[in-house]
Amino acid sequence: MNYIEKGANVLFRANTYRLRLPVLSGMVALCTAMISPGARGATAAIPASHQTTAPLLSVGGTVTDSTGAPMPGVVVRVAGTSQAMVTDDKGRFQFSNVQEGAVLVFRMIGYVTQEVKVTGSQVNITLQRDVHTLGEVVVSDGYRTTTVAANTSSISSVGAEVMENKPFTTFAQTLQGHIAGLTAPLTSGQPGAAVDIRIRGLGSLSLSSNPLIVIDGMIVNADKLGYNMTTANALAGLNQNDIESIDVLKDAAATALYGSRGSTGVIIITTKRGKAGKTQIRVDAEAGVSGQMDPPDAGMPLNAAQYAEMFREALVNGGYTPAQVNTLAESYGLNSGKSNDWYSLVTRTGKQQQYNVSLNGGTEKTKFFGSAGYFDQDATTIGSDFKRISGLLNVDHHINQRMQLSVGVNASNVGQNTPYSAQFSGNPTWAARVLRPFQLAYNEDGAINTSKTGDTNFPGIYNPLWIAKYDNKYMSQTRMLGNVKLKWNIWDKLTYTAYFSADYNTIEETTFLNATMGDGVSLKGRSRNYYTRYFNWLTRNQLDYRYDFKGVDNFYATAAVGYEAQKSKEYLLAADGGGFPSAHTSLTALSNAATPLGAYGQYSNYAFVSLYATAGVNYRNKYAINGSFRRDGSSRFASNNRYASFYAIGGTWNVHQEDFFRHQHVLSSLKLRSSYGTTGNASLGNYAWVPQAGYSTAYSYAGYNGQQYYSIGNIDLRWETARKFDAGADIGFAGDRFMLTVDYYHNNIDGLIRSVPTSLTTGFTAVSQNVGAMVNKGWEFTLKGDVLRIKDFTWNSNFNLAMNRNRMTSLPEGTGVQNGNFYLKEGHSFYTFYMKEFAGVDPQNGAPLYYTDGTHAAATDKIADAKYVVLDRESVPRYTGGFNNVFSYKGLSLGVDFAYNLDYWVLANADLYLTSGTYYTHNKYRYIYENRWTTPGQVTDVPKFSTQTDNSVSTYRLYKGDHIRMKNVTLGYNFRNIGLLKKWGVSRLNVYGRATNLLTFTFDKRLPFDPEVTYSGADNQDMLQYKTFTVGINVAL
Amino acid sequence: MKRRQAYISILLLSAAMAASCGKNFLEEEPSTAVSVNGAILTEGDMMEALAGTYRIMNGYFLYGRNALLWGDLLADNVYTSSSNSGRLLPWNSYMYVAGNAEATQLWGQHYYAILQANRILAVNLPETATTGQLKGEAYALRAFLYLNLVNWYAKPHTVNPAADGVPLVTVPTSIGGAFIKPARGTVAQVYDQIISDLDKAFDLMPATTPAIHAGNTNFLSKYAVKALQARAYLYKGDYENARDAALLVVQNGGYTLASTAAAFTSYWASNAARTDKLETIFELNNSAAANNGVEGLDYMYSRTGLGDMLVTDDTYALYTATDRRRDLIFDGTRGGQQVYYVNKYQNTGVADRDEIKLLRYAEVLLTLAESYARLEDETNALIYLNMVAQNRDPQLVAYAFTGPALVDAIIRERRKELAFEGLRFFDLARTNVDFTRQNMGAKAYSSYVDVKTTDFRRILPIPEVELSANPSIVPNPGY
Repeated sequence: MNYIEKGANVLFRANTYRLRLPVLSGMVALCTAMISPGARGATAAIPASHQTTAPLLSVGGTVTDSTGAPMPGVVVRVAGTSQAMVTDDKGRFQFSNVQEGAVLVFRMIGYVTQEVKVTGSQVNITLQRDVHTLGEVVVSDGYRTTTVAANTSSISSVGAEVMENKPFTTFAQTLQGHIAGLTAPLTSGQPGAAVDIRIRGLGSLSLSSNPLIVIDGMIVNADKLGYNMTTANALAGLNQNDIESIDVLKDAAATALYGSRGSTGVIIITTKRGKAGKTQIRVDAEAGVSGQMDPPDAGMPLNAAQYAEMFREALVNGGYTPAQVNTLAESYGLNSGKSNDWYSLVTRTGKQQQYNVSLNGGTEKTKFFGSAGYFDQDATTIGSDFKRISGLLNVDHHINQRMQLSVGVNASNVGQNTPYSAQFSGNPTWAARVLRPFQLAYNEDGAINTSKTGDTNFPGIYNPLWIAKYDNKYMSQTRMLGNVKLKWNIWDKLTYTAYFSADYNTIEETTFLNATMGDGVSLKGRSRNYYTRYFNWLTRNQLDYRYDFKGVDNFYATAAVGYEAQKSKEYLLAADGGGFPSAHTSLTALSNAATPLGAYGQYSNYAFVSLYATAGVNYRNKYAINGSFRRDGSSRFASNNRYASFYAIGGTWNVHQEDFFRHQHVLSSLKLRSSYGTTGNASLGNYAWVPQAGYSTAYSYAGYNGQQYYSIGNIDLRWETARKFDAGADIGFAGDRFMLTVDYYHNNIDGLIRSVPTSLTTGFTAVSQNVGAMVNKGWEFTLKGDVLRIKDFTWNSNFNLAMNRNRMTSLPEGTGVQNGNFYLKEGHSFYTFYMKEFAGVDPQNGAPLYYTDGTHAAATDKIADAKYVVLDRESVPRYTGGFNNVFSYKGLSLGVDFAYNLDYWVLANADLYLTSGTYYTHNKYRYIYENRWTTPGQVTDVPKFSTQTDNSVSTYRLYKGDHIRMKNVTLGYNFRNIGLLKKWGVSRLNVYGRATNLLTFTFDKRLPFDPEVTYSGADNQDMLQYKTFTVGINVAL
Repeated sequence: MKRRQAYISILLLSAAMAASCGKNFLEEEPSTAVSVNGAILTEGDMMEALAGTYRIMNGYFLYGRNALLWGDLLADNVYTSSSNSGRLLPWNSYMYVAGNAEATQLWGQHYYAILQANRILAVNLPETATTGQLKGEAYALRAFLYLNLVNWYAKPHTVNPAADGVPLVTVPTSIGGAFIKPARGTVAQVYDQIISDLDKAFDLMPATTPAIHAGNTNFLSKYAVKALQARAYLYKGDYENARDAALLVVQNGGYTLASTAAAFTSYWASNAARTDKLETIFELNNSAAANNGVEGLDYMYSRTGLGDMLVTDDTYALYTATDRRRDLIFDGTRGGQQVYYVNKYQNTGVADRDEIKLLRYAEVLLTLAESYARLEDETNALIYLNMVAQNRDPQLVAYAFTGPALVDAIIRERRKELAFEGLRFFDLARTNVDFTRQNMGAKAYSSYVDVKTTDFRRILPIPEVELSANPSIVPNPGY
C-alpha cells in the first residue's frame, strides 16, 4: 500500500493516463480509484473497517460492459478491507476470504461505480457507462491535464468510436458535424484533398485561418505542403483507426498555451496506446463501392437533343438568319446523329477498401500498441485515386517506479493521382459540364479522339479521356512522425517531463503532360518534378508541481513551467524538362526529356522558442481557477518584434457541489466556466518580414547572375492577436442522462495583417502591415444523452449547433469597399456579398431585370442603372452543426449522422458559361433549359436564351447554399455469447454495412451544384464528392 | 533529499533550455535572398545588382516591349491589325485610362528599376575603376529611366519646363522608407537630375571597360552615356549642349555606320551583342535563357510571331526603293489582305532572340545634325544628315534644305532611321505638333486619326493606385 499512498499524490497521473483510454494498468487504476474525487453518488468514502464474525466465502465472477464484452482492468475492492484486485483480460476476479455480507466495490473510470453485497460465491455484474463523470474524466490541452471538475476551458472531443473505420482519407472529413463551432467543408471529391478547417469562424484575413494541429504532442506542418498537386493534404497519411481521440481547443484558456499559434484554435490528436493484459489482436476490414454525388437536378448537363434545341434558340434569338443557324448547326454536328454523354464518360463507379490490423498488450511495466493499415480508393472521377499504407507503434515502459519512457513512431506513405481542378481545360469535372454532347469522345475506330480541329472535336477544351489516360499528376508523400517522452517523478509533488519529436515528411510530385493533346503539346511532352522535404523537430522540457492542502479533500494547487523549441526545415528541389519520346508513351520520367527547362533548389525554415507557465487552484472541486502564460519567439519576425507574450485566465464553479444545489430537482449538475486571454497567429511566410535582395534566373542578364531588391518586407510586422472571451455552462438533466453544453464567445482579433498599398515610387506596390481588426462572436450548443432507454433498446444522441458572427471593426484608411463580390467595411462580415440585385425576367420580352437599388422600388433592364447593394447574405453559414445518433437493440446497432450548414449563399465562378446564351457552345444547366423565357407573358426567373445576353454579375448567380447532409448510416451487428467464437478465442465480432453522404437536402430549386464549397462561397468546378457503400468486419482476438 | 532532487531537476531544465537554443536559433535567413542592407558588399555584388537592373529594363512592361512599342504605336508608324491576339488594344485606340494595367506597370516598373539603381548608388565601396564603371552605369540607367518617365508622364520640356514632372526618388526604399509620398518635381528639375546623373556617370566611367563585365553593347559605356546625354539635351531643347555631347561621341566614340548593303543586312540579322562599335551603342540583351518569349517586342512585330502590330502605308511610303531600310519592312499578307510587317526583329524563330536596341550611332548623328540646324549652322547640319541618309540610300542625291525645311528633313530622317525603335512619339511630343495616325481601314483593329497638341492622352495617366496611395501626386489632366 505504500506505493499506492505515494501514488495518490502523483500529479502526473492525469498527464499520463487519459480517461478515455478505457483501460489503465491495474495498479494505476487502483491509485486513481484512491485519489479520484468521488463522483456524486459514488462511494467516495469507504466504510471504516469493522469487526465481524460472518463466515468467510470464496467469491468470484466476471465483469462485462453493456455490450457483454468482458472488461479487464476493473478494480474490485472488498469495502473496508485492504483486499483489492484487478480483473484479468477475461474480466474475471476471484477473492478467497470474503465475509458474507461484505460489499464489493467495482470501479472503472468512465463507468458507474457499482457496489454489490456478497451473498454467494458468484458475482457477475455489468458496468454501465457513466455519462456524468465530471470528477474523473480528464481533459488535456497538450501541456496540462486536469479533471473535468477543475477544467476551465472550452474543449470539445471525439473518441475512437467516431474515428474508426470511416471510408474517408482524412480525419477532418469525419469531424464534420461532430464538434460545435468547427467547420471543415470538403470542396473536392479527390481522396486526400486538403480540407480547410475553421474553429469559431474566420481567424485571419491574410494569414492562414486553419487551426494548429498537434499529434501526440508534436506541432506538425499541416495544410498543403507540396507545390504541384491541385489539392493534397499533409495529414492524409494519418490513419483514422490509429486515433484514440481528437480534442478541439477553442477558447483562450485552452489555446493560450499555444501562444503565437493558438488564435485559430488547436486540434489535438492522440494516437492509441497499449493496455496491459493479454495481447489483443484486432482486425478491421472494409470494402465497398462509391458513386459520385450528382449535382442537384437543376445543374445536370443537357442531353444531345436538349442541347441542340438551346444552341439553335440562342442563335435565333441572337438575330442569326436561318441559313447561318443551319450552317453552324451543321458544323457543330447537331445533325450528325452522333453524340455522347460526357457526364457518364468522366465518372465511374469507385472502389475502396481498407484493412487495419492492430496488436495491443503488454505488462504493467511495458505496454505497446502496434498497427498496420492499408487504404485504397479509386475515386468516382477518372484519373483520381488514393492509396495509403501506414503503421503505428507506441510503447510505454516503466523504467522504475518513478520513471516512465514513452516512445511512438507513426509512418505512412500516401500515393495520390490528382487530375486538374477548377476551370481548367484538363479538369474532367469541368469538361463534363461544358463539353457539347456532339463533341465526340471516340473516333469511329474506337480510339480516343484527339483531333484539335473542327467543332465536333476539341479545338478548345481537351478531351478529358485522353488527359486522364496520358497525363499524369502523381504525388507520393512519406511521413515519419516519432516521439520520445521521459517522465520522471522526482518526488511525489514534482515531475519532470522531457519530450522530443521529429516529423520527417517527403513529398515527391511528378507531373507529365503528353505531347498529343493538352498543355504538353507545344513542348512535345513535358515533365515537372518536385521533391519537397520537411524536417520538423520539437523539444519540450516541463516541470509540474502539485501541492495538496492538508486536511481538505481535493484542495490543491498546481503549477508548471516549461520550455519549448521548434525548428522546421523545408527543402525543395525541382526540375522541369520537355521533348519526350514520340511513341513510347510509357517513358514519362523526366530523364527522358530532350531539353531541360528549369532547375530549382531552395530552403525555407522557421523556428520558435517558448517559455511557458501554468498555475491553478482547485478548491474541493467546487471552484477552480487556472492561469497560463507563454512567451514566444519566432524567426518569422524581425528581431525588434521577435518576442511576444500571451496569457489566459479561466475560472469555474461546479454549482452542483454546493449544498443548495441539492434542493432542486430540475438539474442534476451545473458547471459554470469562463475564460479570457490572448493568443496569436504567426502563420505568415517564413521570411515575409525580411526586406530581401535575391537571385533568380528571372533576374539574370546577359549571362550574369542578377540580384534584385524584390521584397519590401516590413521589420515592424507583428503577430496578429486574438483576445478571446468565453463563458460556458455544462448542465446535466435527469441524473445527467442529458448533458447540455452552452458556450458564448467573443473573440477580438486585432493587428490583422493586410497588404497596404504604397506609392509605386518606392518600387513596390504594397507593404504588409498590422492594420485591421475584427470580431468573431457566437454561441455554441451541444446536447447529448440517452434519449430512450427501454429494456434492450437505446437511442443515444448528440445534437450540436453553432452560430458565428463576423464583423470587421477596423480597416486601413482608404480601403475600397468592393472586395471582389464582397463588401469590405467596418460593421460588416468579411464575407458579405455586394452586388447588383437580379429582379427577375420581364414577362413581355424575357429581358433580365435588376433592382435600381436596395429598396427594390424600381427595376431596370439596364444593369448599368442598377446600384451595388450590400446584401444581407454571407458566404459562410450562420448556423452549423450536426445531429448524430446511435440506436441499439441487443447486438444490433444503427448509427445515423447528419451535418448541416444553414443560412449562407454560394456563387459559381464559372456559372456564366453554364447559364448564358453568349456561351452557346458550352453545355448548360438543366434549370436553364427547363425555365428559360420563351413566350411573352411567361413568368420565370431565367431570361431569354440568346447570344445577346447581359452577363454582368448579379444575384442571378447567387444560390442559397443551405443544406443538411446525411453523412453516415451504419448498420452493425455485434455477435455475442456465441460459444463457437469463444472457443476460437474471438472476443469480439462485429459486422456492419455503411453508407456515407447518402442524402443531401437543399433549399434552393435553382441550386446547380453541391453547396459544400469554399468559405468564400465559390464553386470552383472541383471534383464531385462521392457516396460510399461499404461493408466491414471487426474481429478481436 | 527532496531539495536535492528539486535542484537537480531545475538544473536539468535549464541545461535543456540552454542546449536547445543558442543565441542564433531564431535567426533564419532565406536561401535565395539576403537582407537588403547587406546585399551589396563587394564589386561582384554590385555587378549582380546592376545585372538585375538591366533585366528589369528588359521586362516587357518596359523596354522589352511596351515602352518601345508605344513610341511607334501612339505615334504614326504602326497600327494594330484587325487580326490580333487581344494585346494592348486600348493603346491603338487611344482609350487608356488611369486604371490601365500597362500604364500602371510602366510607371511602377520604372521606379522598380530606379530603386535598384538607387541601391547601387547608395553603396560605399572603395573607388576603383570597377566601381566607377558600375556606379557610372547605375547613374546612366537612372537617367535613362527618368528621361523616359518624364517624357511619358509630363509635358515636354520644350513646351513647359515648369510643368509637373515626375517624383524624383534618388535614395533606395531601404533607406528612404516604405511610406514616402513624394510630390512631382517640375520637368526642369527632372531634367537637371538626368543631366547631372549623366555628367557623374561620364566622369566616373573609365575610358576602357574594366573586366567586371563584357565590353559589349549590352552594357552602357562611357560614350553611350554621352550619346544618351545628347538625347536628353535634344529633348530638353538645349541644342548647344546636345551638339557638344553628340560631337564628343562622334569624335571620340569610335562608332561607325554599316558601310555596305551586306554589312547593313547582316547587322540587322544579328542577334548578338557587338564589340565592333558598328551602329549600336547600347542594346538590351535577349538570350536563349532570358527573353520575353511570346511577350517580347520582337514577337509582337514579327510575322513569324504574333505580328499584331503593322506598319502604316504612310510610313512605308517614306522610303525610296533604293533605301536599304525599306528591307526592314516586310511586304506580306494577313487575313488575306496585303500588309507591311516590321522586319527589324528577325530572330523570333530561334532561341536566342534579338537584342533590343536603345541607342544607335545614327541617332547621335541625327541629333548632331538637328542641333547644328537649330543653332543655324546649316553646313554642319547637312553634313551629318547626309552622312546618315546617303549611307542608307547610296543613290540619294545629297539634301540641301535650309531653314525650317532642314529641321523637318532631319526629323523625317529620324523617323525613317529609328522607326520601330520607340522614339518617334517623343519627336512628335517635343516638337509639339499635331499629327495624323493613318486610318488603315479594315486592316486595323480601330483607328484614332488626329492627335492634336491639345489631346490630353499625349501624356499618360498617373496610375490610379499611385494617386490613392500618394496624396502628394497631382493627376494628369483629362483622366
